[in-house]
Amino acid sequence: MTATPAPVVLDVQGLRKSYGQLEAVRGVSFQIRAGETYGLLGPNGAGKTTTISMICGLLARDAGHVTVDGRTIDTGAVAAKAAIGVVPQDLAIYPDLSARENIDFFGRLYGLHGAALRARAEECLALVGLSDRAKERTERYSGGMKRRLNIAIGLLHHPKLLLLDEPTVGVDPQSRNAILESVAALSHEGMAVLYTTHYMEEAERLCDRVGIIDGGEIRAEGTRRELVELVGQQDQVRLTASGDLEAAADAGRRLAGVTGAAVVDGRIEFVVEDAGAALPRLLEAVGRTGAAVRAVNLVEPDLETVFLHLTGRALRDAD
Amino acid sequence: MRIALLIAAKDLRQRVRDRSALLIAVVAPLGLAFIFAGLLGNTTEFHAAYVVANLDGGQLAQVLRTDVIGGMAAAGAATVTDVPTEAEARAAVDDGTADTAFVIPAGFTADIEAGRRVTLTLVGARQAVLQTAAAEALGRQFGDGVVTAQLAVVTTAGLTGATLGADQVQALTAQAASMAAPVTLTDSAAPLRQLSLATYFAASMAIMFLFFSSSFGIVSLFEERRRGTLARVLAGPVHPGEVLIGKTLAGVGSGLLAMTVLVAATTLLIHADWGPPLGVAALAIGAILAAAGIATLVASFCRTAEAASAATSAVAITLAVLGGSFFPVSQAPDIMGTLALLTPHGWFMRGLGDLHGTDAAWTDALGPAAVLVAMGVVLGGIGLLRARKLVAIQ
Repeated sequence: MTATPAPVVLDVQGLRKSYGQLEAVRGVSFQIRAGETYGLLGPNGAGKTTTISMICGLLARDAGHVTVDGRTIDTGAVAAKAAIGVVPQDLAIYPDLSARENIDFFGRLYGLHGAALRARAEECLALVGLSDRAKERTERYSGGMKRRLNIAIGLLHHPKLLLLDEPTVGVDPQSRNAILESVAALSHEGMAVLYTTHYMEEAERLCDRVGIIDGGEIRAEGTRRELVELVGQQDQVRLTASGDLEAAADAGRRLAGVTGAAVVDGRIEFVVEDAGAALPRLLEAVGRTGAAVRAVNLVEPDLETVFLHLTGRALRDAD
Repeated sequence: MRIALLIAAKDLRQRVRDRSALLIAVVAPLGLAFIFAGLLGNTTEFHAAYVVANLDGGQLAQVLRTDVIGGMAAAGAATVTDVPTEAEARAAVDDGTADTAFVIPAGFTADIEAGRRVTLTLVGARQAVLQTAAAEALGRQFGDGVVTAQLAVVTTAGLTGATLGADQVQALTAQAASMAAPVTLTDSAAPLRQLSLATYFAASMAIMFLFFSSSFGIVSLFEERRRGTLARVLAGPVHPGEVLIGKTLAGVGSGLLAMTVLVAATTLLIHADWGPPLGVAALAIGAILAAAGIATLVASFCRTAEAASAATSAVAITLAVLGGSFFPVSQAPDIMGTLALLTPHGWFMRGLGDLHGTDAAWTDALGPAAVLVAMGVVLGGIGLLRARKLVAIQ
């Protein structure tokens, strides 16, 4: 007996948006089912925020179609937007109101009131760990606390679809962990979550499926395993070196059997078809550029490797 | 409408917590009204201290001393002290015990009766400009009376062709003096509709600063756009028009709050007499709508909160000057009176004046209030149409 698949909550087909000559989003399509967390993984400027803005009706699309819970979303679809919860990339809270007052305002905006609002406010504040300081004005909060409140507001009305646009940007590791735990709990409530990030670790940890987006296009989509399989039997070689690392990466990239190269955090990452065959030639080519190699690691392919494989660049390199 | 009210309530809560807003909406206008009324307040209650050196003592000199100068004292507008010499009169002015000295020269009565030119000397203290001006007016009044009597005597003598005796001259003089002036000018409206200085400056400062309070709603729209909260609100089940209406209501509410506090505070603290409450309420509501409407229109031409604040401030000050917030337009050239009626300030002050006329009823304010509402609706309507772009989805 096969389980019935969860219903599709978000259906995005052929989404396009241009700003003058710049095509920010070029035919993006994907679906998210109830209880599923879908990650849009890509560097800054890849088109993630533009895509989210069109999904929640804040931005008019040039082409394409968006339905949420079966209802078409466009800029005039006021009622249909009630099914969506939005957590914007930039903090969108009122600093001169307390967390509770912020939550009350946005809750009422979505039609909650009375005991239902109070109860849901308590739940959401508890979920993000702000119950104890709910009465404080948010201007006194730390950046991490503001981020968590930013998320709580998006959850208030039990949306069918939650859009989280880079919710951990600029937060300390402790708050980031708290945020990721909160988001992980949401899919258990049956919420469909669209999570955009340029942090590979977050996408791997949270998302059931990931769409790799670059230059306004989804370059690949699937579970982590499916995406890593795209790299095939290829290996990732990481060289810790000093010197002109960009020149060293260029030298390696020109070698046969090397499908990607990028400089990431003071290291050179290579995707190669056969590490055993490629390594001596890589070391020689890098050495010729004057770079001094201090350590060599063979690492298991991950989403970073996939991005490198698909685009020839590293995620953070592309920021 | 539920969403608009929700947004307005949230904005007002933020507004009330903003100390700088409290400063602009209440403290500044109250302080300025207090200062202006205090500085100019002495001019509302005229009083003069006169000394008279009557060196003549004749009949006409006595008339001048008792009936003319004494009339001021009888009216409670002056105290009059007699001194025996001119030197003492001048000394009283010099040492500040008197504002102005009248020196009636010896031979005053005889010279007048003989038709000779006489000189009445006035010595005014440097700071007592108004008191000395009043003394000059008294002197002219007396002189006019003398001319009238002389004219009667000359006319009679001319018509009869006879030389008049002393008894006849005295009788004619008395008759001429007792006759009522054939033409008198009265201005029944202006004095009766005049506001006290405290009321004038309380009202003029209130409406000037009302622009700052009422512009808060539309200016906060820019701030919300910059902060990202506007996008978050619009991502919800909210029509953009509801946001605009909410912001407008917030501006109106903010103005209403500021005006209510100011009316109460100026009544209690500087004894401003605003007039019948219903009439004042009608004018206040009209003024608030006009201010919010103009602020919306001005802000709709701007791109940032800073630009909108600066533009609305500039317009508020300009309209305040034209509308007579800093000085009564009645004391300015006629063109100012006309220009004032192009401003909410002018109509607001005019309406308040109407509430202070004899037999005035609160309904007298309805005309100016209607003009103010019309200004608010028309200008605010245009402003809202233009401001749609601020909440438009790109």
